[in-house]
Amino acid sequence: MKQILVIAEIWEGQIRPVTWELVAAARKIKNSPALKQLSPTINIIVPADDPAPLAEKIAKQTGIDVIGLQIPELETYISEIYIYCLEQLMRANPQTGDSYENVFMSKNKKSTCKAPSKKMNPSHILIAHTSQGQDFAPGLALSLNAASIPGVNGIRYDEEGVIYSRPGFNNTRNLMIRPAANRPVVLTLIPGSFKPDSEKEKKPGQVEIRKISFAPAAYGKKRIQHRRTVKKNSENQALKKAKVIVAAGRGLKEKENLGSVFKLAQCFPAAAVGASRPLVDMGWLEHQHQVGITGATVAPKLYLACGISGSSQHLAGIKEAEFVVSINKNPEAPIFRHSDICITADVIEFIETFIKK
Amino acid sequence: MNVRSFFSLDMSRTPVYAESMKILVCIKQVGDEGEINRFDLHALEEALSLKEQLAPQLLEPIAVDVVTVGPPEWSKIIRRAFGLGADGGYHIVTEDSGYISSFVTATRLAAVAKKIPYDLVLTGIMSTDMMAGQTGPMLAKIVGLPCATAVIKTSLPANNNVINLIEVERELENGFRDCLIIRLPALLTIQAGINTPRYPRLSNMLAAGQKEIKTLKEADLFPEPIKAREVFLGMEDPKKTRSGRVLKGSLSDKAEQLFTWLKEKDLI
Repeated sequence: MKQILVIAEIWEGQIRPVTWELVAAARKIKNSPALKQLSPTINIIVPADDPAPLAEKIAKQTGIDVIGLQIPELETYISEIYIYCLEQLMRANPQTGDSYENVFMSKNKKSTCKAPSKKMNPSHILIAHTSQGQDFAPGLALSLNAASIPGVNGIRYDEEGVIYSRPGFNNTRNLMIRPAANRPVVLTLIPGSFKPDSEKEKKPGQVEIRKISFAPAAYGKKRIQHRRTVKKNSENQALKKAKVIVAAGRGLKEKENLGSVFKLAQCFPAAAVGASRPLVDMGWLEHQHQVGITGATVAPKLYLACGISGSSQHLAGIKEAEFVVSINKNPEAPIFRHSDICITADVIEFIETFIKK
Repeated sequence: MNVRSFFSLDMSRTPVYAESMKILVCIKQVGDEGEINRFDLHALEEALSLKEQLAPQLLEPIAVDVVTVGPPEWSKIIRRAFGLGADGGYHIVTEDSGYISSFVTATRLAAVAKKIPYDLVLTGIMSTDMMAGQTGPMLAKIVGLPCATAVIKTSLPANNNVINLIEVERELENGFRDCLIIRLPALLTIQAGINTPRYPRLSNMLAAGQKEIKTLKEADLFPEPIKAREVFLGMEDPKKTRSGRVLKGSLSDKAEQLFTWLKEKDLI
């Protein structure tokens, strides 16, 4: 039997929306011709110190059976706790030697309760390709002797099974990969790549809580201590509110050229200046100008990308823009695939010509 | 420092005396021109600046070694790392090319990382070609080290010449950061923005030519070839998500067309 597992993304006690995208992707894998005949099951795992409320919510939303993985030590996300407890959960065999406690079954009494705690045998484990997922997925894959495909942005089928695509070479190419035969696979999925199922399920899934304590035999107590979570910079309200964002990237070459970008922004009413990550890393502009996953996610009417090649983390931050116009010297720049208007030109020369008009 | 959280960490490991502290930085080549992957350069810079920062407090300086897994010509990047200030260099020489699974690379790197007791192992957060970001966390798992990815700040507090933990900040989404204390030995993957990599120094470059690269043959380390757990099928162009109208003509024509389009859409 094939079992598809989705690890819900929980952060600061909240379910992150990417969880719904993981569920949609799990259904897509389940419906692949090669798997369909094996009638795989989908389960969602919710790791938390108190998973019950979150698990109930997810079961209700998705109609899928949820396993709340109760980890008493998990006040906040820590990689080694996640890897250890998820591995224990997936390896545990209740028939031969239970390594977890079954706390209680779902309050959804109406649904018939199946025998709890079946041994898990996951064929696919879906995790979000976020700062959290990228932190623990590779280690989990290794401890399960599984294949590992990070940054999945597409799923398709052939007669042999499922093929996963993922970006490579600075996002200019997609790599097509499948797990080796008969190996389970850990997949991390890039947020925004899969559309969540819009319909809410009528019948909620069952909830089962399993408790696993963090007690690694190899090294005893925990080696990573979380002190606090900080916010580096207050959000840039200017970027959030702007109708037009003129954004600068590495194509500018010199810091002095930023002046042209600011001049261009002045041509538009209600415009703000944004920047790609490398510019902020180099200290050309403050972090509050940074657009992308690690900066601000924006939704202006117009996004004007000046000399930005288009990393996946940047592109994910501008998806909601109504129009994207890109100026780049390199006709192969990945951002051109995600633009309404493409201008192949030297950024500064083009801006100066445009301003004169 | 929060005293309670400090003591709730397991400190039973024998303290590392700073005089023998060793850092390993895993580097790879990207492209054909002998360039070090840009994130690995940040990792190397971080190791070198930790060495410099702590030098006044330590009896003996921290030793910074680099290791790479790749074809014979990748010895160039080790020389380059010597030029930047690395003390020692290991080269695990491989014959394969093209797509290489992170699992295979991590297993190969472990041959060095396991053999020598490094206190800190650093890698770039990812390579710009494969963009997997897995080699570091997988290596940590194989060697048995705690691991933090996307590290954007580090500090090594030395008390009484004893260094047994590292304080780090890892980058999350939307400007958030997690502050962690990690017991050594540990592995960190380094995010860009943590530092500005230095340029090679002439004195280092002159010395680099004399330094010995410790070469290890893959076949000697692994008599049985390591099998990838994934199958690489090929590459294709990424999908378009927008129409992508390409403006044609001279610079002036393009500017004119853009202006007209912006007017049509009532954007300017």
